[in-house]
Amino acid sequence: MTPEPPSKAPILTVGAAVHAYGGKPVLRGVDLTLRPGEIYALLGPNGAGKTTLIRAICGRIRPDGGEVLLNGHDPARVPSARAGLGLVPQEIALYQNLTVAENIETFAALAGTPRAAMAVAVRRALELTRTVDRAHVPVKHLSGGYQRRANIAAAIVHEPSLLILDEPTVGVDIDAREAVDAVIRGLRDLGVAVLMTTHDLDQAGTLADRVGFLREGQMVLEGEPRTLVAQAFGNQMEIMVHLAEEVDTAGEIRLAGEGLERTRRAHIWTRLDADGYAAAGRLDKRLRKVGLTPREIRVREPSLANLFTLVAERKLAA
Amino acid sequence: MAGSGIGRVWMIAAMVRVMALELWRDRGALIMTFLLPPLVFLIFSSVFAGTTGDNIQLKLAVADLVRTTDSTRLTAALVKSADIRAELVSPATDNEVRRRVKSGQADAGLVIRADPASIGKPFVIIADPSRAVAAPLTQARVQQTLSDALPDVALRRTVVQLTPALGGPSDDQAENADTAAILLRDTPKPDDVGYFDREDVKDVKTGGGVIAYYAGAVMILFALFSAMQGALGLMEERRTGVADRLLAGVAGMGPVVTGKFLFLVAQGLVQALTIFATAQLVYGVAVVQHAMLWLPTTLAASACAAGVALGLVSLCRTRDQAQMLSTFVILVLAAIGGSMVPRFLMPPWLQQVGWFTPHAWVIEAYQAILWRDAGIEAVYKAWGVLVAAGLAGLGLSQVMASRLRR
Repeated sequence: MTPEPPSKAPILTVGAAVHAYGGKPVLRGVDLTLRPGEIYALLGPNGAGKTTLIRAICGRIRPDGGEVLLNGHDPARVPSARAGLGLVPQEIALYQNLTVAENIETFAALAGTPRAAMAVAVRRALELTRTVDRAHVPVKHLSGGYQRRANIAAAIVHEPSLLILDEPTVGVDIDAREAVDAVIRGLRDLGVAVLMTTHDLDQAGTLADRVGFLREGQMVLEGEPRTLVAQAFGNQMEIMVHLAEEVDTAGEIRLAGEGLERTRRAHIWTRLDADGYAAAGRLDKRLRKVGLTPREIRVREPSLANLFTLVAERKLAA
Repeated sequence: MAGSGIGRVWMIAAMVRVMALELWRDRGALIMTFLLPPLVFLIFSSVFAGTTGDNIQLKLAVADLVRTTDSTRLTAALVKSADIRAELVSPATDNEVRRRVKSGQADAGLVIRADPASIGKPFVIIADPSRAVAAPLTQARVQQTLSDALPDVALRRTVVQLTPALGGPSDDQAENADTAAILLRDTPKPDDVGYFDREDVKDVKTGGGVIAYYAGAVMILFALFSAMQGALGLMEERRTGVADRLLAGVAGMGPVVTGKFLFLVAQGLVQALTIFATAQLVYGVAVVQHAMLWLPTTLAASACAAGVALGLVSLCRTRDQAQMLSTFVILVLAAIGGSMVPRFLMPPWLQQVGWFTPHAWVIEAYQAILWRDAGIEAVYKAWGVLVAAGLAGLGLSQVMASRLRR
């Protein structure tokens, strides 16, 4: 992983990819380009086609139509093209009784790393993932955060130009997530192109240079997170109302009348308003007047999560 | 390097190393893999060596209904005999003997219903039909005891039996017969009574054929069991995403499957070493002396077990499926192939079916080498069959692994 070359030629190009399983379309003309030193978060609800798209990029399936090029070659037809690819599965895809270093050595060998270059490659992977201090600890004895980083180390030991991460921080605490994020940023700074799928929209918003929303096999929205959010919501702010207790039907009707929508989190309702804090103050008074006393009202800028909801619920035109 | 021959060897070696480290660090599995087989071999060989030799000691329930001088002498001789474990029942009734045989407390029963010297059939043997060998064995043991300990009774029975044909003996003849009977009773000469003398053939090997049989039977049984456990790693690699990681790379799953195969062959070889070393040390089976044929036979058997295990596991979609299928197949193959019950005790048609199992080929090959001192001409066919089965399983596993890409 040498510093990023001046050339910004795409590492990955997916052009009008179409694929169907048993006659059911799963990918419907997906386009995607990824350049060196870029982090791309692929978002979308379950069944949107993310897994199929990644399988196509990994060369495990050949799309029925369109093309997938990895460093200019079709990974399904040219196995050597996959040498430039590293995959970090969602699970801890390591041998639990082996140490971190032994695992990295194993996957380096299976990725075709020459024996003479092994020690240097393993050392570099350990350093980049900040797992040097756990190199000789069996994976089964590592914390969740270290396991996640070791999982990445095994995928980068052969110095891929494209790293695919499937839910890289699922099930880990905030500290561990930040450590993983730091590793991913470090790889990006070295010129590695990173394609990640995640349901953690906060992570996608803070980490990704670009995000793409996949819905029913189509890339319905793509761009820089802040730009997309700004385009979708303009100067509107999100007002979040946290009620003290569950409301009855009459209360629900009254809240809906205020333009509030129930969220997935208990007792929390939300709405967008260009007036922001002033609107929140007025809303607070009206709710108290009818006995719906909020425990807390928060005002914040809309996030990718709000955008994701709009896209998933088809409230935003593609 | 990835696509080169050396590169692939390096990948395969990495997989062999993974398997070895995983086993080495799982001490429970290590013990099960290498200590259990010789232990089970010792148990099997002890059990079956005992049942096919001279030293079968039946447990006999005896009821003496008449309690004459001669019947008392017979029961005393039976109780004293080292060839049988006779026990006088109380109450001394035929029903009590039946009860003991039926409940399994005795292998067979003997009811003495008339004086042993009387005409007719003074004894009744009570046997459980499910223990077919017990009745004839009891009869033989009792007859032996009568001949050895009560030869005078046999003489008196003979005199009585001859009377209708020769007419009654004169007074002198009767007196002489009585004197001879008393002499026989007081100083029995067992060697003068029986029809048979016995000669044991010279230069037999100290290790019995049954030991060589069970060494082979246990070897292939455990080679398959352990190979199946190792092959289940393929399922684990699918579950944990290791397979996904590898399928996204240049090598795919091919080197993984080949690496597993080679490790399982090596594991089978070490397992066989522990079993046959035990056979040599404990029973004197001449393994080292036949190493030149033993080694290829063992490698062929291990290759067969590894290939069959990998092939079977590859056919399954989940670990549960694989465990169920492998347990079922291993048990059926072991039963039919002779790993549980000696093949020569099976009906002829089942012995023929046994040739469709690796067990029969392995067992016969080891017996040929270690017991009959046969040469390569007796085992080359078995090597071919075993290696072919192993390679077929490996090939199937490779095909199924390549289909995982889709």
